[in-house]
Amino acid sequence: MALFSRSPIAPLEYSRTLWMRLWVGAVMLFLYAPLIVLMIFSFNDSKRNVVWRGFTLKYYDKALNNDALIEALVNSLTIAALATIFSLILGAVAAVMLWRFRFPFKGAVDGTISLPIIVPEICMGVAFLMFFAKGLHWPTDLVWPLNLGAITIAHITFCFPFVTMVVRSRLASFNREQEEAAKDLGAGEWQMFRDVLIPHMRPALVAGALLSFTLSLDDFVITYFTSGPETITFPVKVYSMLRFSVTPEVNAASTILIILTVALTAIALKLQGVKAIAETH
Amino acid sequence: MDLKDMLGQSRGRRSLLQALGVAAVGISFGSLAACGKGEGKKLANGEEARLNFYNWDTYIGETTLDDFKTATGVDVTMDLFDSNDTLFAKFKAGNPGYDVIVPSNDFVERMIRADMLQPLDHAQIPNIKNIDPSFMNVDYDPGRKFSMPYTWLVLGIGYRKSKVKAKPDSWKVLFDSDEYKDRIAWLSEAGDMYRLYGKYLGKSVNALTPADIETISAMMIKQKPYVKKFHEDDGQDLLMKGDCDVVLEYNGDIAQVMTEDDDLDFVIPKEGSQFNSDTLAIPKGAPHPKNAHAFINYILDAEVDKKITETILFPTPNAAAKALMPDSYKNNPVIYPPADVLARCEYAKFNEKLQPLYEEAFTKVRAA
Amino acid sequence: MAEQDWKANKRVFAAVSLPTLLWTLVFFVVPMAIVWFYSFGQNAGLNEIHVSGTLDNYKRATEWLYLGIFGKSFAVAALVTLICLIVGFPVAMAITFASEKWRPWLLLGIMLPFWTNLLVRTYALMILLGQQGYANKGLGALWGGASWVKTLVGLQPLPTWEPVPLLFNNFAVVFGLVYVHLPFMVLPLYAALDRLDRSLIEASLDLGAGHFRTILRIVVPLAAPGIVAGVMITLIPALGAYLTPDLMGGTDSQMIANVIERQFKKANDWPFGSALSFILIYAMFILIALQSMRRKAPEAS
Repeated sequence: MALFSRSPIAPLEYSRTLWMRLWVGAVMLFLYAPLIVLMIFSFNDSKRNVVWRGFTLKYYDKALNNDALIEALVNSLTIAALATIFSLILGAVAAVMLWRFRFPFKGAVDGTISLPIIVPEICMGVAFLMFFAKGLHWPTDLVWPLNLGAITIAHITFCFPFVTMVVRSRLASFNREQEEAAKDLGAGEWQMFRDVLIPHMRPALVAGALLSFTLSLDDFVITYFTSGPETITFPVKVYSMLRFSVTPEVNAASTILIILTVALTAIALKLQGVKAIAETH
Repeated sequence: MDLKDMLGQSRGRRSLLQALGVAAVGISFGSLAACGKGEGKKLANGEEARLNFYNWDTYIGETTLDDFKTATGVDVTMDLFDSNDTLFAKFKAGNPGYDVIVPSNDFVERMIRADMLQPLDHAQIPNIKNIDPSFMNVDYDPGRKFSMPYTWLVLGIGYRKSKVKAKPDSWKVLFDSDEYKDRIAWLSEAGDMYRLYGKYLGKSVNALTPADIETISAMMIKQKPYVKKFHEDDGQDLLMKGDCDVVLEYNGDIAQVMTEDDDLDFVIPKEGSQFNSDTLAIPKGAPHPKNAHAFINYILDAEVDKKITETILFPTPNAAAKALMPDSYKNNPVIYPPADVLARCEYAKFNEKLQPLYEEAFTKVRAA
Repeated sequence: MAEQDWKANKRVFAAVSLPTLLWTLVFFVVPMAIVWFYSFGQNAGLNEIHVSGTLDNYKRATEWLYLGIFGKSFAVAALVTLICLIVGFPVAMAITFASEKWRPWLLLGIMLPFWTNLLVRTYALMILLGQQGYANKGLGALWGGASWVKTLVGLQPLPTWEPVPLLFNNFAVVFGLVYVHLPFMVLPLYAALDRLDRSLIEASLDLGAGHFRTILRIVVPLAAPGIVAGVMITLIPALGAYLTPDLMGGTDSQMIANVIERQFKKANDWPFGSALSFILIYAMFILIALQSMRRKAPEAS
């Protein structure tokens, strides 16, 4: 019983496991059915992915030889990685501030930090358009990846509040006496932050990183308004195809991306697993 | 507590990111090298050998940009926009560095009025002679001072032959009848919808008044229960998938799916319809205006435009290029509808006053 | 230990507050201020906006037409959030109680679909749900099976199967939004549940409470902060969704974000779009600030 093997099994636990497994299985089916359709249609011998017309590999060939598409993918992944790292730092620090301190105008500060979540994308897109055009001009003809600066800044701004929210809800369960105890034992502020708080926040940090990465990777509107020549991203590429409907080429590229992600993760986890076993013995 | 596996997990994530980062750096060296090529090199016209082209996706020949580079040495970077609206919104803050853009006719008018376009120097575009004369003097840009026609389209009804009783050659089928209940799709573009309703009522697309908008809104609300969807210009997909049987679409879009599905056809209703045309234009503040002129001239070349047309399959206003195309294209009544039908179609003028009214009225129709 | 006063430890407070506050100020408050000023302006020509301090945009934005759309969007977003909570809670629990080996896989399993472009996924979902799509074919096969079983036991067969409209209506919008926002609910729940004291659950089970009651009485209250975070993170972006209603909705499925988007793009009426946006923003700001105050109160007492 993979899902429950760690907790001691109560008499009723087994049926509950089965029920849970069915539930998780159904949710996974719900999440993956469209992906499977997408993968199947990447082999579809038709310009549009609406009706099945026979098997072909030509769109893989096209996607792999489409430099613009690959460049857009690389840009997207780079921006997402950078935005995730900075959002984690900013978001976690803000969460600690809101959790630990009492200060004037706290409600307003809290509200303002959470606001980027609610501002409609298009409104924020226009705000950044005006900001970067009239205020801080970010040249887009710099060498890669510096030319992605404006987009990355925008992405960090709408990603970090998500991290703050998740980390804060996690910190709510922190036992502040632990902090006291650490201090009594002579730990400095930094040491306490590193050795006590960060380990406690870790699941929330992982969740926050996953959220930021996802949000950044998928953003179109804000990216569109902050991009200039030569800073095309994958979503901008895909959305501009809307007028001609999404082609199997994009499906093929997405399929490659999915397989690549799964493979890389599998390798990372495998290596991790080997190391963990080596450490325990 | 499972700190340890959380640790493991976060390390897993980090290694994933690292791996992706390494891949990204690897690929980017390639693209960096590619980017560096055009820089520094000066052309005879005094401009660096670069050009920033802002286009719709899949709206150029497969080798056009490479061929242009071979011919002139100019490196073209093509970026993509998804709609005229976003193009216009983006240029409101100033030109972010593009040399050639592809706006549609009403947006040419809008951008001229907003002082966003640069006048074209016809002396630098000798291939202007290839343009069909009927496209030279158009209302939205008299004398072609700011834009060169690239493609044109016309709105009509795409339908599934086996599912209709008779050829749906009147807007009545879409706008004023429950015959195809739940099998109808409209465009989500408010302006187009009101103008075509105007056509159905026997008015010019450019002669609508606020009172007409009221009347039309009432008709739309009455018809709405029979309409399945306001589509985002993907009506051809709705037809192909069998979600709808009569849809409002552009001729080029339907012509493309007709090559895959024999049961589909397209008709321009007898009341007449609305033209659209995509054009090549140079925005104010373009960093390489001479290259831009050279590029536009290159695209208007008969052989070049023939190759583009073969890929994108839209009607071309380039008479010389059309002459080079095979008969199956030239004589396709969907791509080139008969002249008497086209005589009943008009270009929509941009109307600053009416546009917000269309939008608000259509929002009301949707909410009703 | 309650919250510390900021004066008690100024150095640490500066270290944790300055980076985010500065970032928010420069890269969020300043850009948004530009748009905020626009909401008090009007179009002067095609690309000039004259900020005259007029309140007309707000007056228009609070007309019944738009208030109705606000109300409907809120109802849809709330329904989506509720469904996500019901669907996502057991999943978050399953991840929390999974073995070390399985947990990262389950977490990634939830997230992986979301690394595929939203538009690409939405189109795939539309292929599934269409009139002749696989979902309808599957349902049709089930119906046929049921009919066959009925004839087998000697009853009248069911009438022939008519494909149900799964796409281009409000059902499709809710379905699509749940699909898009599910991980936004699962992740915060997981982050909160992970901290749960397992002995409490065991104690509850030992004392004879059923699993359902244990979850409702013990797990849910303990996970409350995570639930609140999950609800906020799901509800708020769902309120701002525009692509799903546009592509999957029917003729009456517009949400407020669609209207706002059209103001900025098609109608070229930025002042009005800004006013609509800011009404949404004010409402949320008040909600969050209130929640923050409410949270402070019990801790102080």
